[in-house]
Amino acid sequence: MRRHWLTALMALVLVLAFAAGGAEAQQKLLRLTFYYPVGVAGPLAKVIGEMTDKFNKENPGIEVVPVYSGDYDPTLQKVQTAVMAGNPPDIFIVEISELPTLLAMNAVIPLDDYVKKAEGGKYWDDFFPAFRENSVVRGKIWWIPFQRSTPVFYWNKELFRKAGLDPEKPPQTWAELKEVAKKLTVREGSEVKQWGVTVSGGWNDWLFEAFVRQNGGWLINPEGTKVNFDSKEAVEALEFWVDLMYKEKVGPPHSTWGSTPPDFVAQRTAMLYHSTGILTFLRNSAKFDFGVAFMPKNRTFGAEVGGGNLAIARKISKERQDAAWKFIAWMTSSENAASWSLASGYVATRKSAYDVPAMKEFLAKDARYLVAREQLQYAFGKMMAPNFQKIREILKRQLDDAVDGKVAPKDAMQIVQKQVEAVIKR
Amino acid sequence: MRTWIRRPRLDRLATHLVLALVCLVTVTPYLWLLSTSLKFPKEVFTPTPQWIPWPVNLGNYAEVFDRAPFGVFLVNTVIVVTGILAVQLVTITLAGYVFARRRFRGAGLLFGLFLVQMMIPIHATFLPNFLTLQSLDLLNTRVAMMLPFFASGYGTFLLRQAFRQIPRDLEDAAVIDGCGGLRFLWHVLVPLARPTLVAFALISLVSHWNDYLWPLIVTDTPDVRTLTIGLGMFVQQESGADWTLLMAATAFVTAPLMVIFLVFQRKFIESFMFSGLKG
Repeated sequence: MRRHWLTALMALVLVLAFAAGGAEAQQKLLRLTFYYPVGVAGPLAKVIGEMTDKFNKENPGIEVVPVYSGDYDPTLQKVQTAVMAGNPPDIFIVEISELPTLLAMNAVIPLDDYVKKAEGGKYWDDFFPAFRENSVVRGKIWWIPFQRSTPVFYWNKELFRKAGLDPEKPPQTWAELKEVAKKLTVREGSEVKQWGVTVSGGWNDWLFEAFVRQNGGWLINPEGTKVNFDSKEAVEALEFWVDLMYKEKVGPPHSTWGSTPPDFVAQRTAMLYHSTGILTFLRNSAKFDFGVAFMPKNRTFGAEVGGGNLAIARKISKERQDAAWKFIAWMTSSENAASWSLASGYVATRKSAYDVPAMKEFLAKDARYLVAREQLQYAFGKMMAPNFQKIREILKRQLDDAVDGKVAPKDAMQIVQKQVEAVIKR
Repeated sequence: MRTWIRRPRLDRLATHLVLALVCLVTVTPYLWLLSTSLKFPKEVFTPTPQWIPWPVNLGNYAEVFDRAPFGVFLVNTVIVVTGILAVQLVTITLAGYVFARRRFRGAGLLFGLFLVQMMIPIHATFLPNFLTLQSLDLLNTRVAMMLPFFASGYGTFLLRQAFRQIPRDLEDAAVIDGCGGLRFLWHVLVPLARPTLVAFALISLVSHWNDYLWPLIVTDTPDVRTLTIGLGMFVQQESGADWTLLMAATAFVTAPLMVIFLVFQRKFIESFMFSGLKG
């Protein structure tokens, strides 16, 4: 009897040894961490989770672990902390004007080699030029456009009708805007019940850049070395703002980025400058018909872009970088760029994304989502420079003071010019 | 025999009126929050504010739980705040006792350092703390969210002040009777300092319930994350917030603290009130 036991035991041991050996021969799993922010409303954490699950299934050797990292600011902090601790996330998304910060930290790798080989060389040209601009510094491509937006112009058709204006004709020029805003501002005694137009605060520096573009000017050159705040175009743009908000008083001089979409929905303002990212929110919340248009032009239509791009960390192995590129290429394929745009409300980053059937179907039902794309032909990259947060503070301070009438536009812009030059030189 | 005189009617009426007003001001935002959490998006920003949600939308709460595992977040938050408080109570009591009663070289300097700790902003400490936790291999754990807070300069300061107020004679008498050091601390000082400990506990619980940036930086996976991180998912920079969902999530995140306070409020107030009356 004992003999049979021993044989059985030996057989078991041998089987286990082979089984264990077999397991070792299995493919090694490469685990990549992916830090991402959620910048607009919607179940985006879920969508990202679903997309990465799909990628992981299609790529058995790689497992991308998505890590929700808050909004843009906390995500940058989380990324920076991890980079400084020597353990960076393999892939991450950060707000586009932070590229100089990432470069100063030596946190990302240039992607030119990968990009050149992708999709038979046709990959990079398929992205809209305005979105490509914030990727290229010193001739190298540092990251790929992913969740992108641009400011647009919203108008309340019902309030237009009430004021005797044609609800299908939004103002096309600055002069028209002023005229229409005057007709749409409703006062009860000394209190304003309805503003004609609101230029959202919070990111009013972003919107100011758009106005300067509409006047044919620029504020910071792409390399982040020269600034142009005291130019005639910039001063004129600020003068227009001061005219609207301080002299004619057709728009509130101060507001926050989050408070103005509800103001529009509550019909507290008839026209609104805000990101294309709120279109879905407006559609779901407004009880009235509204339109989306290009921001009114002065010398030309003009806009700039915003949002976040996908980057690969520097201090990780080449193997991980290659795998990270696979993920990025997958996430930014035409189909996925289209489905991401549909799920999030961000502008699809590639021209071919608009040929994807699901996208065509959706746009046929609501053409307002097309306006942001159409405006891209007049759009430029977002201004960026080292220490950009400081520059924003300086600009916003003077913008706020100017629309309060505390400083003349020309003086305000000269102050910004001097102070920003000092910041850049450091 | 009445132990106190009844105040005149008008006086009582005026007091009640003022209290009702203050109550209204405090409670109104919360009522609006609850109302919004039961609305559909189209009913939130109507030109005239609508207090009663109609049609009622019970789906917001379900959607909130669908977006993120708030149940898990709640459990984690409870573990983290009670863990922090439990250790804090021990450290601040012992440290407060030493600073109140013991003299030694460098005591003043050491206490000064404790006070300085209170003034250092979190942004200066989170990288060194992160590196420490990384070297201890504790990243992405609940302990990581608790560890930096185990020692509290603020708590030590409060307890030192509380202990100092108890007369030395009491301790000297106890020592003579054979009860010294830790026994005295546990049986006499701590019960007498109860109002301070309760006050500190409330502050610690509420402030760590609301911790956001540190948990976000030090954790990666939903199984250890806390309520505030889940709440953050409904506030976005580019598009403004998902209001109905945000209000529902906020109601859920604040409810435990509200319930605890409502259940224990008598105890809290009693402990403050009767601290002076013990003979």
